[in-house]
Amino acid sequence: MTGFLNDYSGPFQPDFNHEKLDREALLRILKANSNYLRRLDGTWYITVMKRFGNEAAFDCDARIWKKFILYEAKSVSEMYNIKGSDVAAVLKLIQASPWMWAYQREYDLVDNNCGTITCRNCETLYNLEKEGTHRYKQICNVLCRSLFELRAHYINRAIKLTPLQLPPREEGNDVCCRWEFKIEEKV
Amino acid sequence: MTKFLPDYSGPFRPDFSHEKLNRDALLNILKANSDYLRRLDATWYVTVMKKRGNELAFECDTEIWEKFINYELDMVCETLNIRGNDVETLIKAMQATPWMWVHNRTFEMPEKNRAVVTFRDCQTLFHLEKEGTERWDTICHALERRLFERTADYFNPRIKVAALKLPPRKRGSDVCCQWEFKLEE
Repeated sequence: MTGFLNDYSGPFQPDFNHEKLDREALLRILKANSNYLRRLDGTWYITVMKRFGNEAAFDCDARIWKKFILYEAKSVSEMYNIKGSDVAAVLKLIQASPWMWAYQREYDLVDNNCGTITCRNCETLYNLEKEGTHRYKQICNVLCRSLFELRAHYINRAIKLTPLQLPPREEGNDVCCRWEFKIEEKV
Repeated sequence: MTKFLPDYSGPFRPDFSHEKLNRDALLNILKANSDYLRRLDATWYVTVMKKRGNELAFECDTEIWEKFINYELDMVCETLNIRGNDVETLIKAMQATPWMWVHNRTFEMPEKNRAVVTFRDCQTLFHLEKEGTERWDTICHALERRLFERTADYFNPRIKVAALKLPPRKRGSDVCCQWEFKLEE
């Protein structure tokens, strides 16, 4: 018996916080928080877009995330104690993002200098596809690319990013996007 | 016995997720996530404010949070199995917000149908005080009140919200704001 709570269905506790909960409850919250983050960020984008147009919203989004992703990379690498300057370190950094549960991604490490990420279940792309405005050209092909690149360069500026597959998806294709990270050998 | 990891300093694992981590690591991540959330939300606000001015940024913020608070309450109550329609239920849901580590708050229930929430350490107010623009008029007096009213309505429209203390803080006061939630007879 751990004495930790599995939920907060019991009486009010003046000093309640996450420290009172068991591992299973903490995991549930973390999973829900990923989606909370995605929705909060998405709601800001859509609200600004409806008022000032997509160009203004995308400009804000790009400005915010180009700085914010470095804050995320620093805090994640410190919190998870991720060290190193190879592709394995980049994949670990991206796996450990607070958004991890918002997307279904596969990570393949060919060797420490080459790896791929395949995204098979991206709510953001599904929403963009429904919207039918081709905004994926900015969000996925420009912004996502830039954010993957910034994280790779946070670890090592010699890592090259190549998109292997990008939206629009072909009919029946379950891959939303696929990226390769590689350190080129010096000749 | 499953061996959970204290961090991710070891080799790459293709199937890594929070499920591989031990309880202490999960707790640390949740604490950090609170600040991540606050920063992300604030960065959106400040970016829109710089481009379009405070009035329009505040309008966006209000529109977003008036909707988003219901989603947050749904999520919190579902994840932690918080049920009911009294002041106690409302206070439990407020305690369990994903933002809990951002603010140092105390929750008191002097009576069954009355609670007092005191914010003693609010990063948002500290930033506003540094900024010196008195934006607490909108953020704390208007939006925060609106969100607490929405939260009370979510559980029971008969729960009324009153501000007991609001910014600006008096010299030497460590209370950022204080609110009362009371179920009307």
